Amino acid sequence: MPKFLLAAAALALLASTAAAAPVRLATEGAYAPYNFIDEASGKPAGFEIDLGNELCKRAGLECTWQTNDWDSIIPNLVAGNYDAIMAGMSITDERKQTIDFTQNYLPPDPSYYIVRSGTALDFAALSGKNIGVQGGTIQAGYVQETFGGSNTVKSYGTADQALADLNAGNLDVILADASYVNDVVAGSGGAVEKTGPEVKLGNGIGIGLRKSDEELKQKLNATIDEMKKDGSLDALIIKWFPDKAPGPIFAGG
Amino acid sequence: MVDSLPQWLLDVLGQDVQFWLGYLTNGKHLNWYASVQYTLAAGVLGALVALVLGTLAATARNSRSAPVRVLGNIYTSVLPGVPDVLFFLFFPLAFEQAVEWVRAQAICSPSDLGSGHWPPCPDANLILGTPEYLILAAVSLGIVYGAFAGNVIAGAMNAVPKGQLEAARAFGMSPLQVMTRIHIRQMWVYALPGLSNVWMLLFKSTSLLSLLQISDIVLWADRLGAPNFSRSAGFVHPDWRWAYYLILLIFYIIITFISEKVFAALTRWAGRGMATAGAV
Amino acid sequence: MGALAAIANDIVLLAKPALFNIYFALVSIPTGFVLAVFMALGKASSNPIISRLCRGYIYAFRGSPFFIQLFMFYSLLLSLNLSVWKPLGLDTIVLNPLILGPAVLALNTTAYTANILHGALMTVPRGEVEAARAFGMSRFQQFRTVIWPNVIRLAWPAYTNEVVFMFHATALVYLTLPVIDDQLDLMNKAGTLFEKDYNAFLHYPVAAMYFLVISAAIFFGFGRVYRHLMRHLPRPPAMRFAPRWMR
Repeated sequence: MPKFLLAAAALALLASTAAAAPVRLATEGAYAPYNFIDEASGKPAGFEIDLGNELCKRAGLECTWQTNDWDSIIPNLVAGNYDAIMAGMSITDERKQTIDFTQNYLPPDPSYYIVRSGTALDFAALSGKNIGVQGGTIQAGYVQETFGGSNTVKSYGTADQALADLNAGNLDVILADASYVNDVVAGSGGAVEKTGPEVKLGNGIGIGLRKSDEELKQKLNATIDEMKKDGSLDALIIKWFPDKAPGPIFAGG
Repeated sequence: MVDSLPQWLLDVLGQDVQFWLGYLTNGKHLNWYASVQYTLAAGVLGALVALVLGTLAATARNSRSAPVRVLGNIYTSVLPGVPDVLFFLFFPLAFEQAVEWVRAQAICSPSDLGSGHWPPCPDANLILGTPEYLILAAVSLGIVYGAFAGNVIAGAMNAVPKGQLEAARAFGMSPLQVMTRIHIRQMWVYALPGLSNVWMLLFKSTSLLSLLQISDIVLWADRLGAPNFSRSAGFVHPDWRWAYYLILLIFYIIITFISEKVFAALTRWAGRGMATAGAV
Repeated sequence: MGALAAIANDIVLLAKPALFNIYFALVSIPTGFVLAVFMALGKASSNPIISRLCRGYIYAFRGSPFFIQLFMFYSLLLSLNLSVWKPLGLDTIVLNPLILGPAVLALNTTAYTANILHGALMTVPRGEVEAARAFGMSRFQQFRTVIWPNVIRLAWPAYTNEVVFMFHATALVYLTLPVIDDQLDLMNKAGTLFEKDYNAFLHYPVAAMYFLVISAAIFFGFGRVYRHLMRHLPRPPAMRFAPRWMR
């Protein structure tokens, strides 16, 4: 027992010295172009990393990045392993029960279906198909609800793992955010394509925060406001999501 | 990396080889190679914890005090009945929450404590990063395999010929001296084959590190091998995961091979001057 | 909700997930056992090629983590999907976690079990085999009436441990393979429950209890079989209830 307490004290000490540390931002690092690991540097990169760094600079915060698997990204925020999530996370009522969000920094983005090129699907009467989603996403909830009974829904740890299964013919269709889909379709060399209806889900993408971090939320909200008004957020969005050009997205609104 | 090579060598290598050299030494791959340190650290640290706990458990099982004996027996016989991966996920969470609870009692105001939030107040929150998780991971591996090691060591202590202990006592050694100078010293020869087995199990379990959000070799293999169709994320390639996992498989087999050699040498060394089949 | 009620609630919630773990074990362990008999005989074969191949197989599977074996087989079979499984019409079978999971478990336990059986095979008393040969028994008769009964008696205690370990290994299947609909096993379900209320002290221990109880049942059942195997002895040896370290 003394040993346990000693170890506890050691960890507590570690923790308290780290308490004065900068704001720790978590991302998934596997959802290009929102966030991914840059090949050359091996560090997180993408729209959300650029945006996060700019927000921190303007708000006078010192920020660090870390990656966390998608399926445990909310529990680990709540557990305090980092202070904010910027990982293409849509603002939903269900998530709001556990965590808090800033205002959105990306407007609601439709979700698209991807299939292997040449696959025709009847979305009005889909049955007996294998539908892939990243587990714990808004798309996962939607697909389960809409197609669950008569189709097989497979959940994956990352979107890229689902993509591997689609490409290898183990899935018939994937539902994912439009920007991810656009990027993948463009780079696939014709292997996969967009199909079917757009699906409108969620209330846009925001920064996930612990409910107790009111101060950080206000700071970030004010900075997002500023970036929306002066057009710098629009510029950043168009840089990473060329299909959103020419805007305006938030500016002047 | 490739840019630093002399021009004549680049000419000899040709474009293709240059490309692959560059690809395999990009930042993402370097991260992968560097992450071997987590696997090795968790393995070695876990083994040390397991050895200490195993020795303690074996001693406890031979203790004169009945409660200590029962405790030793429960530890060494119940824990192996639970999958290592379950304990591996449970222990760090449980430890973190327990420490936070203790801190909360001391730090938080009574109104916070009754609020139903977890942790009750932000100050009680433990902040854990990769180093802390690595320690917790190693300790959980150590606790699980310490129970296995306890069984091995207890068996080995019983295998030490009673005559040797009696001779030591006859020489006038104290019980502690008999224990440290004769019993534990002689025990190693009998324990080493079993401990070798436990070490192999423990090291193979280090493949679970990514479950605790440690960016270990398994996580990077998955991220590197996963198909990439996004030009902004780098080189576009199909699903290569099986090749990366095959490399991990070979890595673990090589470690097993090296471990076998090391334990064989250790057994020879520990058994020097003893009339056992292991000593030649 | 009182603590006891919460525990009872979790026991109910985890009952169906436990069936997945039991299913994985029930399919893979007998399959692996049959394969292991051939693998052990192969390792003991006088043909150097067969013996080397079997040795290599056993070494590779025992020397690497099951977790990575699962990952590798899944991605390897996946990459063969369009060229092999689809044309054969096997894709829904081969890549189904309910088939692939037990298959990789079986490949893994084949190696461990073969090693145990081979060890036992090497310790069968030589005199008994020579006596059988002197009786003019064929090689198959020797195996069936003399070698096999010896092997299974010698190997049974170690094999019991292997079965328990294999049951534990089923916890890894759904941490690796894609999860279909709501087919969650004990680990997934405990994890999902934890993510809802962050009560690590409730869900994981209840899942652990399932593993402990089923492990104990395996020890009990295999102990009864051991007593039956040893019924020729004046006093059948008691099977130690505690799991041993050997694997």
